[in-house]
Amino acid sequence: MQVLAWIGEGAGSVRDDIRFEALALETFRFQYARNPAYRRLCQALGVRPDSVQRWQDIPSVPTGAFKEARLATFPEEEEIRTFRTSGSTSQRRGALHLDTLEVYEASLLASFDAYVCAGWGRMRFAVLAPSETDAPDSSLSYMFSTACREFGTPDSRFYATRDGWHLEQAIADLQEAKQPVAVLGTAFAFVHLLDILAGRGIRLALADGSRVMETGGFKGRSRELTREVLHSGLSIGLGVPHASIINQYGMCELGSQFYEPSLANGIPTRTKKVPPWVRTRVVDPATMTDVASGETGILLHYDLANTGSVIAVQTSDIGRSLEDGFEVMGRLQGAEARGCSIAADILLGGP
Amino acid sequence: MSEEIRRRLQDAQARLTPEQIIAALDLALTTWRAPDSLYRDKLARDHGVFSREVLETGTIEGLRDWTGEALRALRASEMREPCWAPRLTTVWLAGTIPTAAFHAMMIPLLAGSAVYAKAPSHDPTSPRLFAESLRAADPDLGAALVVGNDEELLETADAVVAHGSDETVAAIRARVPPSRVFVGHGHKLSVAAVGPDVPVEEAAAAVGLDIALYDGRGCLSPAYLLVSDDPRGRADAFAVALSKVLQSLASELPRGPLSADEEAMVREMRARAAVRNGVRLEMPPGSTCWTVIREPLGSTPRPGWLRSVPVIPLSDATELTHRCAALAPHLSCLGHAGWGAQRAEVTRAVREGGGSRTCPLGRMQYPPINWNQDGLSPLGSILRVIDEEGSAGRRA
Repeated sequence: MQVLAWIGEGAGSVRDDIRFEALALETFRFQYARNPAYRRLCQALGVRPDSVQRWQDIPSVPTGAFKEARLATFPEEEEIRTFRTSGSTSQRRGALHLDTLEVYEASLLASFDAYVCAGWGRMRFAVLAPSETDAPDSSLSYMFSTACREFGTPDSRFYATRDGWHLEQAIADLQEAKQPVAVLGTAFAFVHLLDILAGRGIRLALADGSRVMETGGFKGRSRELTREVLHSGLSIGLGVPHASIINQYGMCELGSQFYEPSLANGIPTRTKKVPPWVRTRVVDPATMTDVASGETGILLHYDLANTGSVIAVQTSDIGRSLEDGFEVMGRLQGAEARGCSIAADILLGGP
Repeated sequence: MSEEIRRRLQDAQARLTPEQIIAALDLALTTWRAPDSLYRDKLARDHGVFSREVLETGTIEGLRDWTGEALRALRASEMREPCWAPRLTTVWLAGTIPTAAFHAMMIPLLAGSAVYAKAPSHDPTSPRLFAESLRAADPDLGAALVVGNDEELLETADAVVAHGSDETVAAIRARVPPSRVFVGHGHKLSVAAVGPDVPVEEAAAAVGLDIALYDGRGCLSPAYLLVSDDPRGRADAFAVALSKVLQSLASELPRGPLSADEEAMVREMRARAAVRNGVRLEMPPGSTCWTVIREPLGSTPRPGWLRSVPVIPLSDATELTHRCAALAPHLSCLGHAGWGAQRAEVTRAVREGGGSRTCPLGRMQYPPINWNQDGLSPLGSILRVIDEEGSAGRRA
């Protein structure tokens, strides 16, 4: 399979636009033919396979649509894994359906290796999130578990289980660690970790080569900190330099993730690197056309690793394109601001 | 600062008799309804959310029956002496509908209270212009209404009337001392129900107005269109008729400008509908100005907004009640047409949904001045009635 072959060449492979377009158009036509929900959207927009000549013209699917229909190119009986967006059981949750983990895993490992391991080799992982065993429908937990398996040492550990969080234990383990540690987790988990450290007056001094990867935002599960405050707190609380603290940007609906290359380059940056098999557009939400370079708009990702769902995903994230990637700057505002109608999550029940 | 405002407002209101208040309000409303109203012109120029045509139609028609006579009747029916009325009411406004803001500010004035109104962030124009028109009509009553942003008056006013999201209303309620009168109007939405006894074209023409006015932004805008589907396919025929009406209204009552976020949300609403099995979309090419989402039987779509609305077929009349009950307690108004012998189902549906109003389609945006919003009598909700008992313990 050509996509798998490209991913196998690694995150540092050539960003070949011709290769990307050929694979993107081929994938789109396959998905149009095999993904009924996506075909319905294309038809509603008046788009047919033969009317799409450039990868930019492939209709994108807003992440909200993943909550409404099964966006998959294969029947349910062939499904081996479903990742779901976070949310309570009373809310509709978005889902990414997978009939193979081969491409998904290849993509996550290629980027993780390039931007988190960054040439270090195996390392002890301290993960402030549940493992895939404890959270089987979390793509983030799957990523952490897969990374631990491929790049972690045997003493790597998850500090969230079905029983709850074990942050005190994480602190104790990190205090005793003599070798470099990669501390990985959600932003809100790090806030709680920093609160405990501050409350106990502890400043860790992790070994040289240690690193931190935070992701996933706060989701109302901790107070919200700006990136600067969070990273400064992590630098002071864990004793790692700023260039060793990175943010990962990913979402359940995408097979690939985006990392800041600070560890690989040794220079702190907010720029997210786009893997060679992915393209990201920044568009004006009113016209869905590209904004000028450096201007803000919403982010659209075209990810060849999304073989079994849809290649083009429209996010609610606002960002801007930079020379070698993009920067995330916020989220679209809620629906309520200029009306008094009810929040759209209230649904009209059936009989 | 707040004490000074409070004293100034109360002094102004204290100088007025009830009849002077009614006359002043009537005169202000008359100037708004006048064919060449300067206030309507200023509103259209400065409002920013709605088109001039929508504001003209909504204001003229919405204020048509808000007359001195109606104000007098409302006061007479709800303000029985002896009673206590707040000397100062803080009104926390929300949303962008001008007539809703006018109503919220007028009611405490009618009760003899001075009013401090906190303008909504997305529509500072409507309350400001209404206050201006009141000052022109009667400087004394005009001096009893101040529009501002002093949140301290939440804690010192005798009564607080709060509009907004459930979260906003709860936050305001938490700041008001328990001894004060508090009236909260939180999240609401409305539904249009098309029964079997009306031609679909007629119903579509009427509900099209309800949708187009205020662009689906208000809590009286129909967020769902429930259509009797007997015979089968009738709801589809209604959806097609409605799409023609909305296309026509796109030029007669143009939609106001959308923010970039809102444009994105309409597109997402369409995509979320389009991927579902059995859904069909009617929409103009290359524009987000309206969408009719034809739902299959039994679907549970998200509410409509910004002139994008789902049409849901009803298999029978009882489904109307089931559907509305699922919205409880958030239903506000149930607009209806063509229910004939099954009219009782409309009343049952609005009751089960927690609503407080039914009206004919085409009139959803025009509540009367004595509308019991959220089931609360407009004046009665801020008054304290005093029972005077005789020697036998009976009310005199």
